[in-house]
Amino acid sequence: MTPLVYFQLLSAALFVIGLYGVMARRSAVLIIMSIELMLNAVNINLIAAASHLEGIGGFVNFDGQIIAIFVITIAAAELGLAIAIILRMHRNRGTVDVDEMNLMKW
Amino acid sequence: MTWLFVVLAASTLLGGLGVVLTRNVVHAALFLLISLVSVAGIYLILFTEFLALVQVLIYGGAIIIVLVFAIMLTRTSEYPRISDNRQWPLAAVAALALGVVLGTAFWTNPPTGTTAQSPEFTELANSLFTRWAIPFEVASLVLLVALIGAIIIARTGNGGEG
Amino acid sequence: MEWAWLIPVFSFAAVPLIILFGKYLPGKGSPLAILAIAGGFALFCFVFIGWLGASPDTEGCSTSDYTGTLTCEYERTWFQAGLPGLSSDVDERIHLNWGILIDPLTLVMLGLITFVALMVQVYSLGYMHGDSRFSWYYAFHALFIAAMLTLALADNFLLLYVAWELVGLCSYLLIGFWFERPAAREAAKKAFIVTRIGDVGLLIGILLIWREVGSFSMTAAFEAVHSGVISQGMATVVALLLFAGAAGKSAQFPLHVWLPDAMEGPTPVSALIHAATMVAAGVYLVARVYPIFEASGDALMVVAVIGLITSLGAATIALVSTDLKRILAFSTISHLGLMMLSLGAFGYTAAIFHLLAHGFSKALLFLGAGSVMHSTDELDIRKMGGLRKVMPLTALLFSIGALSLGGIPILAGFWSKDEILVAVNDHLPPVFIVLTLLTAFLSALYMARAMFAVFFGELRPEHEHVHDAPPTMAITMFLLGILALGFGLISLDWPGPYDGIGTFLFFEEPEAFHFTVWLGVLSTVLAVIAFVLGYLIYARKTISIESIRGRLSWPVSLAENKYYIDELYQFVIDRVVLTLAAFIGFFDRAVVNDVAVNGPANLVRHLGVTLRLHVTGHVYSYALAMTLGAIVLALVWWMQSAS
Repeated sequence: MTPLVYFQLLSAALFVIGLYGVMARRSAVLIIMSIELMLNAVNINLIAAASHLEGIGGFVNFDGQIIAIFVITIAAAELGLAIAIILRMHRNRGTVDVDEMNLMKW
Repeated sequence: MTWLFVVLAASTLLGGLGVVLTRNVVHAALFLLISLVSVAGIYLILFTEFLALVQVLIYGGAIIIVLVFAIMLTRTSEYPRISDNRQWPLAAVAALALGVVLGTAFWTNPPTGTTAQSPEFTELANSLFTRWAIPFEVASLVLLVALIGAIIIARTGNGGEG
Repeated sequence: MEWAWLIPVFSFAAVPLIILFGKYLPGKGSPLAILAIAGGFALFCFVFIGWLGASPDTEGCSTSDYTGTLTCEYERTWFQAGLPGLSSDVDERIHLNWGILIDPLTLVMLGLITFVALMVQVYSLGYMHGDSRFSWYYAFHALFIAAMLTLALADNFLLLYVAWELVGLCSYLLIGFWFERPAAREAAKKAFIVTRIGDVGLLIGILLIWREVGSFSMTAAFEAVHSGVISQGMATVVALLLFAGAAGKSAQFPLHVWLPDAMEGPTPVSALIHAATMVAAGVYLVARVYPIFEASGDALMVVAVIGLITSLGAATIALVSTDLKRILAFSTISHLGLMMLSLGAFGYTAAIFHLLAHGFSKALLFLGAGSVMHSTDELDIRKMGGLRKVMPLTALLFSIGALSLGGIPILAGFWSKDEILVAVNDHLPPVFIVLTLLTAFLSALYMARAMFAVFFGELRPEHEHVHDAPPTMAITMFLLGILALGFGLISLDWPGPYDGIGTFLFFEEPEAFHFTVWLGVLSTVLAVIAFVLGYLIYARKTISIESIRGRLSWPVSLAENKYYIDELYQFVIDRVVLTLAAFIGFFDRAVVNDVAVNGPANLVRHLGVTLRLHVTGHVYSYALAMTLGAIVLALVWWMQSAS
């Protein structure tokens, strides 16, 4: 079987890739996608730990899975809102370029 | 480490890299689909069939569809031009550095894990509707609010009159 | 008698009423001020009678161990200071009391102030008639009187200092009353600043007493001096500092320069403040704290020497000055110097007696000068003459004042001056008595000069139709004239229970009236010679002024330029003070302001201007910053857990 640490490394790698996307992309849609990657990385970590480890403190061993379910739920809600904002921005300003959304500076 | 994990991990990471590197936004969505489905495979290795199912349904189905709709509804001609910003080399260095930090952290302190195992499906359901009942209800409320908020924001009309 | 504190309260109460409602009151509020001071005078009479009837057994009264006179003190706590949390013991807190102290010195001051002030206020009705700021004049006047009475009544240094400064403020306001005139503005500022120099000394002296004694009470200070808590050296320092304040207020050399300029104020003000009362405050202060001076013999010697220099110098300047009011001003300085000299010569009674006699006479002279000025609009004695033909009453009364100050027998000034001469002769080296007699001679000479030059000789054609003083002015001058004429008689040892002023107002031991024959005769002869000389020079012009001037050109020009003291001050201010001030100003602007105050602000602003460019508004920039921050945090955490 695969030791837990490899799942964790996979999770870290996927997280870093998503993070790079958030930092390097200019299009709002691409940034959303990168955020989804980061959320998935977190989920991998949660579920792998939940499968391999006994619970700590007040948590039992499969609570990680339940938290992952909540993460997926919130991710869906967040995505809905994000897409709504992107559509709104596209309608108002004619672009989804986040460089154009810099009114809150200085 | 099994060959199955290697294959799934590789396709996850390659899909992720595709998402963040390609200049074509539709390709990016497809790469994201590959990555997400591979993650569902990872969940299967960890014996969490329910989550694998949810992953395919919600991510592979709903989320990708919504993203593709978003891409269709916004103007696509500008996407290649605005794919990357000017700070991407710096972003790459920073991301790599964080990767090294995280990797070192995980690698130098390996958890004393047992072999992968998963509880019964019913046990999970019991827990979700007993111990986690209140967060569950709150999550449903959050979904409702997000739904209404998304509708209000995306509705036709300018300004805050919606 | 314990109601004596009400004396100043009347006038204090009148001030805001006149300021606020003066416009609507009859006579623009002046009756209110006059009524207040008249009430004060009436109350003074009751207090005086009460004091005469008091004995050491009366409540609050005792025979003071330090002055030897019957002293009544009524005191209550003003406030308590200190940290109540630190000490629950009430005795360890600082008690600040205010109270009144009534002894002969206070009584004579109260009498002088209330009476002269009453006269001057009535006189001002005529003199200031029609002035655009009539009510303000009376408000300031009332405030001054209230402060001056408080000063005389105060039983502790703190209250005295407060009143002292209030008096200085009123002096400033009244000198600069006609502030439309630049000279009045400058004179007011000069008076305020010069007296302030002395006041700093006074304040330091009071604080020193506080440090040594732990109380502002005068009685406690005397007690400390008496018992040796304050060493003799410290007593000298304190006495000299107090004397600095007294010298400022009483225009003693070298702080005398403000008084001549103060004549820019209205003449009644000059009469009240700059002749009779406020300038006497310095003499009063020295007399009040006489036990401290007595404990330090050196301080008394300084007082005597300064007094002599002042009186002699001012007398010579008065002799050559041409402005009538300035002659009187220098004469005032000279006589204040005589009082200080007398104090320095243990002539306590003589000094205070002269203070009174001079106060009445000089107030009369100033009011007479004011009357002349009111009628002729002229102050230069070279352009006047023969006015006795058109202003007989003023001429008569002015002459009484002049003869009194000049030291003609029977008149008030003769007796008091004689007392001073006796004291100087008894207690100081012979050179002092010679110079004092010279001063007395000069004093008579300049008084003769003023009197004869103004009222005798040829009447100028432009003054042929001027009128004598209006009734309010005449009647007050008349009352003061009676005092100038007969006041000196109270010093005599009359048959009956009254044994002369020396048994009423004394320091440590009552002194009976004594008269040194040769001194009396000598001073009389000198005064008569001076007046005859003045008559010949200024009225008959049988002795040519020009020939005297020609022979004495050097000293005359020295005196005419007031010994160049003003110029010396101007030089010092220009060269030393302004240079220092410029340096301090530069330091303040360059270092304190630019570096210390504006420096941090500029630094932050520059940083802000530079750093805000990093706030691009781009989401990914913030994400990058967050990532870098997370990396740094991780590294720090690692390093900490590794070590």
